[in-house]
Amino acid sequence: MATLTAELEGTLSRVARDGAARAGRGLTGLMGQEIAIHVPQVRLGTRADACDAVGGPETVVLGSYLSITGDISGHIVLLFPVERALACVDLMCGQPAGTTREADEIACSAIGELGNIVGSAFVNALADHAGLALHPSPPSILNDMALALVETVYAEVLSQGGDVVMIDTVFEDARGQTTGLLIVAPDPVCMPHLRELAA
Amino acid sequence: MTAPASEQRRVAVGIGQLVVSKDPRDVLVAYGLGSCVAVAAYDVGAKVAGLVHVLLPASEGKASAGGEPARFADVGVDELLRRLAEAGALRARLVIKLAGGAAVLGAANAEKFKIGERNAEAIQERLQRHGLRAASCDLGGTRGRTLELHVAAGRTYVRMAAGAPTEL
Repeated sequence: MATLTAELEGTLSRVARDGAARAGRGLTGLMGQEIAIHVPQVRLGTRADACDAVGGPETVVLGSYLSITGDISGHIVLLFPVERALACVDLMCGQPAGTTREADEIACSAIGELGNIVGSAFVNALADHAGLALHPSPPSILNDMALALVETVYAEVLSQGGDVVMIDTVFEDARGQTTGLLIVAPDPVCMPHLRELAA
Repeated sequence: MTAPASEQRRVAVGIGQLVVSKDPRDVLVAYGLGSCVAVAAYDVGAKVAGLVHVLLPASEGKASAGGEPARFADVGVDELLRRLAEAGALRARLVIKLAGGAAVLGAANAEKFKIGERNAEAIQERLQRHGLRAASCDLGGTRGRTLELHVAAGRTYVRMAAGAPTEL
């Protein structure tokens, strides 16, 4: 397996940190409370332990998928354990905690909007750092086992050959509780572009 | 007979992994199959079970990555059959079951993400090349699955997110 050069890892980490800061500001405004987003690592490949951030491989999660198109292409997956997702929906809708009890139409719509804000923040950070024109797709709502979702993105990217870079991002609220997992995976065909950017 | 729940040992078979077991306490489990496909094989005579968790359709000559010996359908199926034979299984007695191959990233993206469908096709073609075919399948759709194979009696169960297991 190939390894990330220190330069590329540094560049992707900077993009991810900038994206996280932008997404954090967007979410804090939307939720009315401080949401911190940390970028613990940028790495090649993925493992089932990425799913540990949201409770394990079989944990049912709610989230969204966006594809990136434009000068480079890729994938953005945002996952929350269902209970955390429903708590986010209550915050977004200004409702007392515990109001939303299931992933109904309104909840799914709110999670889609969350995906839009976070995904767009990362896409814009990458576009600004790289001087590229990038466009996020409208979000698709996901409600399934965490690993089933993560492995499908992994397979899709890996099937194109080349390196798989997945930026794993963990969200924490003011109490330090993990609230979600964000995976950004550029298509391998874009790696030369990103390497040039890092050089 | 399936081992009592208290004596069962769940053995996770991760992405690109392959496990063969003759231990009746073992329950081989492929968790959270999305586009991946699990191939479960059991020889009722030798009471040998094998499970492989395939990620991609074709190796195209590429060696499997070190940590994922069964990443590809072709290599994965071949290696599963080889390891089962080594453990005393007879190919003619193998009962093979498949699950997975879904397009889980939303219905709007189902047309774009064909990996699951291609995985399922590649596995079935490879089995056919060995003169084998699956006895039952739970493939496709848009939902993730977990498959478990009980070594004691070769029973295979599939469940979807938060769902009850059904026998395959």
